[in-house]
Amino acid sequence: MRGVPYIILVSLCAFILVPLIWAVVSSLKPLEEVYAFPPKFSMHDPQWSNYREAWTRLPVGRFMINSLFIAGVSMVGAVWSASMAGYALARLRFRGRRLCFWLIVGSMLVPAQVLLVPRFLLFDLLGWVNTYKPLIVPAWLGGGAFNIFLFRQFFLSIPSELGDAAELDGASAWQTYRHIYIPAARPAVVTAALLSFVYHWQDFLDPLIYLSDFMTYPISLGLRMYQSMAGTWANLLMATSLIALLPVAIVFLLCDRYIMRGLGVIGETTGTRRR
Amino acid sequence: MNRRSSGARLFLLPWIVGFAALTALPVLVSLALSFTQFKDPLSMNRLQWVGLSHYRQAVETARPYSPDRGDPWYWNLLGGKPEDVHFHQSLYNSITFSIFAVPLGLAVSLMTALLLNQRLRGTSVARTLIYIPHVLGGAATIVIWSWLFNPEFGWINEGLRCLYRFADPIVRLFREQGTADFPTPAWLYSPVWCKPAVVIMHVWAIGGSMLIFLAALHRVPRALYDAARLDGSSAWRQFLHVTWPHITPVVLFNLVISLVFTMQSFTESYFLETRQQKDGLLFFALYLYRVAFEPPYRFGYASALAWIFVLVLIVLIVPILLSGRLWVYYAGSERTSKG
Repeated sequence: MRGVPYIILVSLCAFILVPLIWAVVSSLKPLEEVYAFPPKFSMHDPQWSNYREAWTRLPVGRFMINSLFIAGVSMVGAVWSASMAGYALARLRFRGRRLCFWLIVGSMLVPAQVLLVPRFLLFDLLGWVNTYKPLIVPAWLGGGAFNIFLFRQFFLSIPSELGDAAELDGASAWQTYRHIYIPAARPAVVTAALLSFVYHWQDFLDPLIYLSDFMTYPISLGLRMYQSMAGTWANLLMATSLIALLPVAIVFLLCDRYIMRGLGVIGETTGTRRR
Repeated sequence: MNRRSSGARLFLLPWIVGFAALTALPVLVSLALSFTQFKDPLSMNRLQWVGLSHYRQAVETARPYSPDRGDPWYWNLLGGKPEDVHFHQSLYNSITFSIFAVPLGLAVSLMTALLLNQRLRGTSVARTLIYIPHVLGGAATIVIWSWLFNPEFGWINEGLRCLYRFADPIVRLFREQGTADFPTPAWLYSPVWCKPAVVIMHVWAIGGSMLIFLAALHRVPRALYDAARLDGSSAWRQFLHVTWPHITPVVLFNLVISLVFTMQSFTESYFLETRQQKDGLLFFALYLYRVAFEPPYRFGYASALAWIFVLVLIVLIVPILLSGRLWVYYAGSERTSKG
């Protein structure tokens, strides 16, 4: 009986890994083997050149740089604006604080479909269509309700004595935020940074609406181009998908040890109504 | 704790600007647009008031319900064949997908979290591994899955065929033909199997809710488990009386968030649609995108559809939130009920 949890755990891990292994195997097969029936689980002659071909058939390098730029700039903005808002909600007293908090929680539930058309009209009016601004600027203006919520919860979990002491020594709210709370909130900073990087890396709908010049495409749109023209080269498509996953995987593995503590605060206080 | 409020306003300024310009204003504009239409959508001028006609167009029926013609069952709820068949089909698809994906995803993620909370060896590696699909997500993994689901060249059906071959002698004991006529689904090329395929993909990426569950489980006081064990409670009773009450707030949170999230699924639909599905994977978000951003760019009609969608979301979520009063246990609420 003691082995049962292990069996379940191992099969779960297998379930997670199979698609990734499958992608690696397929990406290294020559074309005729990809379309062999019945499919082979193994391969004898890995075609590393598939990756070079995948990289050059479409400007994949360009797509990757575009994605890195969009996701990187958005990430910085999201952490900056969400941490400030979260700090104000957690540690500053002002009129309308509860209203702001409920507006933020409520805006998590507003479906993107309602905002789609009016935002497009607004950005079109500003002349921002076909630029990266519609993809990046929203991140600098609030950084996503979930991230604000995350920072608020995390700042609330930091003992307030720390900030109060700094305050008594004459530190301003900004100095307390910058030098006491942000360094103490590293797990939240890393988690919010990762989540917003990943969100913007994966984002497909916004680039689809706002970008039409193909050299400005992020990798998500690039993959779609590949998919629609490469129905016949599944191996190259798999190679490109893996290339697209690589930066996110690296960023994630660098942050992994913080995420548990960062997300932990979500479970911590969602239940308590008032403190 | 007596800080000047002007400071707070400065801290909130980016969010206030964003909320006003990118959420509050668009919500109002969208509501207004739903009653209007552009006479000339390309230059976006000459706005015309059309009243409720967009809403009427969305819910109108063309003819009475007749099951003999193979009408889908939900047309019965609408009172007949809808004028805009695709809108109702897409709404139906999104709701069906969510109804299967959300409870299944939450059950699997909670079970995984419970397992990982057992402090077995190797759990930290397993946790990282199970979380990974959540961050990888998006277009690239969808593409990988679509190839995995390929009915002929994909591993999934090959795995099924292996399983059938392996099980054939056993099945032969019960039925003469053995596994010869067992199905290998066409997955993304079938109107029936395309939805289970996407549900499986969803369950693959439940790392996010799993991690939130796990964090909540870590916070259940150990002493309670020790006390329960001393009383001789079984593992199941421990779960029911110690673990579950402590995590109900997080269950509610995950339930609402993942419902809102899956109802808005777009990328799956966009990447995985095939002609053979007969619109079985046309999700609402994709249909709305097409109405708004493909010719003839019906911004007004799209806005009306978005508001009907909001109504549907409210109908789905409000009962869940209200039911929370019955089953969600808030730390501290016990004190108030006693005193």
